[in-house]
Amino acid sequence: MEVKATQTATAVDITGVTRSYGTVRAVDRLDLRLGRGTSVALLGPNGAGKSTTLSMMLGLIPPDSGTVTVLGASPERAVRDGRVGAMPQSGGLIGGVTVRRLLGFVRASYAARARGRTVPPLDELMRTAHVTDLAGRRADRLSGGQAQRVRFAIAMAGAPDLLVLDEPTAGLDIEARRELWAGVRSYAAQGRTVLFSTHYLEEADDYADRIVVIDRGRVIADGTSEDIKRRIPERTVGFDLDRPIAAVDGLPGVIGSEVRGTRVHLHTTDSDATVLALARAGLVRNLEVTGAGLEEAFLALTGSRGGTR
Amino acid sequence: MIVDYVRLEMVRLLRDPGYLVLSLVSPLTMYLVFTSLDLTGRPGPQGAAYSMVGMAGFGAVGAVMGNGVSIAEDKRLGWIRQLRLLPLRPFEAVAGRTLCAMAVTVPPIVSVCLAGALVNGVSLSVGQWASVLVLLWVGIAPMAVLGIGLGYLLTGQQAQMAGLVCYMGLSLLGGLWAPITRFPGWLERVATATPLNRYGELSWRVIGGDAPAPAGCLILVGWAVLFAVFAAYAYRRSARTV
Repeated sequence: MEVKATQTATAVDITGVTRSYGTVRAVDRLDLRLGRGTSVALLGPNGAGKSTTLSMMLGLIPPDSGTVTVLGASPERAVRDGRVGAMPQSGGLIGGVTVRRLLGFVRASYAARARGRTVPPLDELMRTAHVTDLAGRRADRLSGGQAQRVRFAIAMAGAPDLLVLDEPTAGLDIEARRELWAGVRSYAAQGRTVLFSTHYLEEADDYADRIVVIDRGRVIADGTSEDIKRRIPERTVGFDLDRPIAAVDGLPGVIGSEVRGTRVHLHTTDSDATVLALARAGLVRNLEVTGAGLEEAFLALTGSRGGTR
Repeated sequence: MIVDYVRLEMVRLLRDPGYLVLSLVSPLTMYLVFTSLDLTGRPGPQGAAYSMVGMAGFGAVGAVMGNGVSIAEDKRLGWIRQLRLLPLRPFEAVAGRTLCAMAVTVPPIVSVCLAGALVNGVSLSVGQWASVLVLLWVGIAPMAVLGIGLGYLLTGQQAQMAGLVCYMGLSLLGGLWAPITRFPGWLERVATATPLNRYGELSWRVIGGDAPAPAGCLILVGWAVLFAVFAAYAYRRSARTV
């Protein structure tokens, strides 16, 4: 009983997976488990192994070693059973057919394997994916934002348990991005699992319950956005100056500073010691201590080693 | 599901009639030129009937190889990868595409046969006509599967090159242009083992009043199995990135 509960609670289970291209090890003994009903962001610099990981999860390429289980089955099985929806980075929109016909085909392919699950009618699908206005358009003659909406509709067509989005908003303007995320959010709100990779850190911050940072094919950080930021010891201490001072760099913990008007920002690796020293000097007007942003955390986690490539 | 898939691909095909027209025009023209210049190697109606099968088959091969090229183009579009991400079985995808390829062989086969009957006075019984048309259509299946495998495995340009080699090379070697009996003895023996020779032989025998030879059918089935294994392998290798 308990075993079954654990199985169904896991959407994706990647254990000890390695995949190489020639001599390049794209994914290196990766372990990753995604719980059902969560929204997870996959972050990493270019070439970190994100796409390879997603490809293995979707059954497009086999791992060299290790196991990938999706919704309790092999990735191929899960895809064949219509339990997975995927939005690749690009492509997939063919010429010669309308958006309606293309989506109709995709939906029919899911409906044929539905086995008791409900696949929404075509019109409802087009409404929820905001593509009703594109129904009569040729699928290969769409703007970037329109095409991405159609790709999203394809991914959602079968009301899958797991939605995999590979950089869904790459190249989209702000409005199109917001629309797409509204769709993802309402989808996740139905208790479904969403995994997406992105270059935009604020998207991971805003839309993921959990962020997995991978670099060189391995998980280097995993947790909530707050967890990731906390891993960076660096803090920023800000305060207002009421008189000019000679130097702030000599303060304990401080590794950098910037002065904007009368406002000073100190970057410190030991905010407690820095604040105590400032207090002793009487510099506590509008004192504020802030943590590193996700971007700093991301750069600190991956950047130092990124330069060697 | 296969039906839905075939319907979708056929809609795409019909939106691009240039390809259909081209696959019809070149074998038809060649057939009429070959027979009027008497290049078939056999005189009169016998040559016209022989060449009719040869050129209809040649047109059919061209059509299925063109289908391979369009699959390679679809790969570039990300369509093949998209199909792999849908709950469509590999068998359904490959079989559906094979049926589309075979549908495109109908215009060249029918038009060359019509030209044979109406222009060159090829005279066969109703049963023979029916057999020839069906055998020309069904017998192209192994080559259709080969074209699909090439499409999945290669890039558009490579598929075009490989398709052309198969189209011209195997047609010539198989005796679709001129009878293999005119080849040197060793080449003739090689030719009888090739798929297009055995493909043409099905209908040539019907025209000569015989049933298709079991040995020929067996060789053709052997090629079909080999090409199907190749296509399955190529399908797995395609769409390797998300």
